[in-house]
Amino acid sequence: MTLFEIKDCALVVRMADQRSAMNLRELYDRITVCSSESIYHHFCETPLRPTFDDPEFRNDFAAWSKRALHDDELAERLGILDPYDFTNLEELRQILLEIIDERLSELTYIPWAKPGMEFHFLQALTVVFNTGVSIESPEELPLAISRMTTSSLYYHFLEARRRVEGGLDDFSTWLLNWNHRGEALINAFAEVDFYFLTLRELQSEMYRTASNVLKEVSSF
Amino acid sequence: MNRSLSEYEPFVGRAILDQLYQLADDLKGMTVVHVNSTKEGGGVAEILFWMVPLMNELGIKASWEVVEGNSEYFNVTKMFHNGLQGNKANFTSAAKKIYEGTNEQNAQRLRPILENADAVFMHDPQPAYLLKLCPERKGRWIWRCHIDASNPHRQIWKYLRSFLSDYDASVFSMPNFAQYLGNPQFIIAPSIDPLSDKNCQISVSDINETYDKFNIDRNRPILTQVSRFDRFKDPIGVIKAFRLVQNFSPAQLILAGGGASDDPEGAAVLEEVKEAAGDDPDIHILMLPSDAHKTINAIQRISTIIIQKSTREGFGLTVTEGLWKGKPVIGGNVGGIILQVKDHHTGFLVNSPEGAAHRIRYLLRHQGRLRMMGEKGREFARDNFLLTRHLREYLTLLLGLKKGFTNRLIAT
Repeated sequence: MTLFEIKDCALVVRMADQRSAMNLRELYDRITVCSSESIYHHFCETPLRPTFDDPEFRNDFAAWSKRALHDDELAERLGILDPYDFTNLEELRQILLEIIDERLSELTYIPWAKPGMEFHFLQALTVVFNTGVSIESPEELPLAISRMTTSSLYYHFLEARRRVEGGLDDFSTWLLNWNHRGEALINAFAEVDFYFLTLRELQSEMYRTASNVLKEVSSF
Repeated sequence: MNRSLSEYEPFVGRAILDQLYQLADDLKGMTVVHVNSTKEGGGVAEILFWMVPLMNELGIKASWEVVEGNSEYFNVTKMFHNGLQGNKANFTSAAKKIYEGTNEQNAQRLRPILENADAVFMHDPQPAYLLKLCPERKGRWIWRCHIDASNPHRQIWKYLRSFLSDYDASVFSMPNFAQYLGNPQFIIAPSIDPLSDKNCQISVSDINETYDKFNIDRNRPILTQVSRFDRFKDPIGVIKAFRLVQNFSPAQLILAGGGASDDPEGAAVLEEVKEAAGDDPDIHILMLPSDAHKTINAIQRISTIIIQKSTREGFGLTVTEGLWKGKPVIGGNVGGIILQVKDHHTGFLVNSPEGAAHRIRYLLRHQGRLRMMGEKGREFARDNFLLTRHLREYLTLLLGLKKGFTNRLIAT
């Protein structure tokens, strides 16, 4: 059987090649042309940035609508978007644009942000590297998960969905080789509702899930 | 005193340190030179003080150079500093000559080091002109701006931009601070060193000594702002807020400031502050030497609430210092303070002396909330603003410099 090699990633945020948006109309216009990397960053890489507690919204577009535009309704509509429900980022971009366009058509004015509260389009430079740690069997998975950095967990469980064909996480791809133990874990991981969890919460949930599944499987 | 990375394990855990070694594996032997304008005083010097030795421990050949200049030069660079933060300035051809001439003198000394380095980080505008004076540079050069340059004075920005745009990349502390320069612009927030004299645990005797030395009452709440005596830090506004609090709650105010060799305005502002304080025995104005880190540490630890009521701020590391000591922070709703003070969670963001007074009175009346905010603040600082995160982002940037600024890199 192949080893599961644990990797990690580090990112540094950079300004996307896109001017900032001062109002909702500008946000719409910029989203039509911004890079897919930028869409990805504002939806999916937010857990890796300095955040506090549970942010009310997981994507930056929703958070900005609330904090800068004070448009709570738009924020709610954008906030419920789960980027992992979409097969690709272009689909996500189109839904995002539709929601904003609909909101613009409902309003009799264009909501503006105060100076200093503009929406800055960002993206990340991500470096992936080996940790030198690998595991040989599913039984080692719970401990390995508990010892990972949160960025490593992000890389294998979240970022993988974009990287691996079929949208599987790296653990599940590897577990395909492990018959019934693997299948039980794959099914359990698929049920983890991760989008609204912080990475630390996700780590605890994954550890619990993997431990419980392996206990159940071994008792048969 | 140089420290080893392993000493940070109790604060961040082994996995975070391993991550730094793994990232740096591809950077071993790379020569990196940092250049700024002062060895002590101010946030930049504090960052370089720990970053350079830790980079070396990771196998990078890092060094730190300081540009030298006379008071005329520092007056010009202070004007640049203030101009980047939006102050009006009268930028004359004489000032330009002083700036470029001093950089030329420094280039005579630094040129071989800088031209041979694989990467050069120029911190703030003071040494930035050196790029023009090192035509044979073989490495990549990055301008690291620690200042809020979101709304710079046009005349000064036009001049600085003429050579800042030649850098291979630029780094700002927040997206809001960034200015378009035509090169890749990265965002890296600064950090604190939990083992430095300013942030480490200190003894009860040091605490007691601080009360006694500055004649501070142990029984009344202490409100503290630690920062240079600089108008953008609004020390006068802090005194105004304190006067509003004094009418309702017995309290003391400490305004503790250090000087920096590149800040010629400090003495004038200090005089203004003394005049505003008058002979109020409950206002303690402490002009501390730039190396009084332990004293500042003790003052922050004996404080009930930390204030950082800046009207403009680069990042405001004193906020994170306060959070790290478990104190709620009342901060101006500007610059990097917004990243650190999570309104109603780790403190309050305010826009006026009246707002600051209002929040201070609230916290003094709600001790449970005050403690809870302090605890949350410490964890927030641990997760986001310790030097290990900062170092990781620099390593990531260096890998980008080495391998190219694509969106995704695989380290070997």
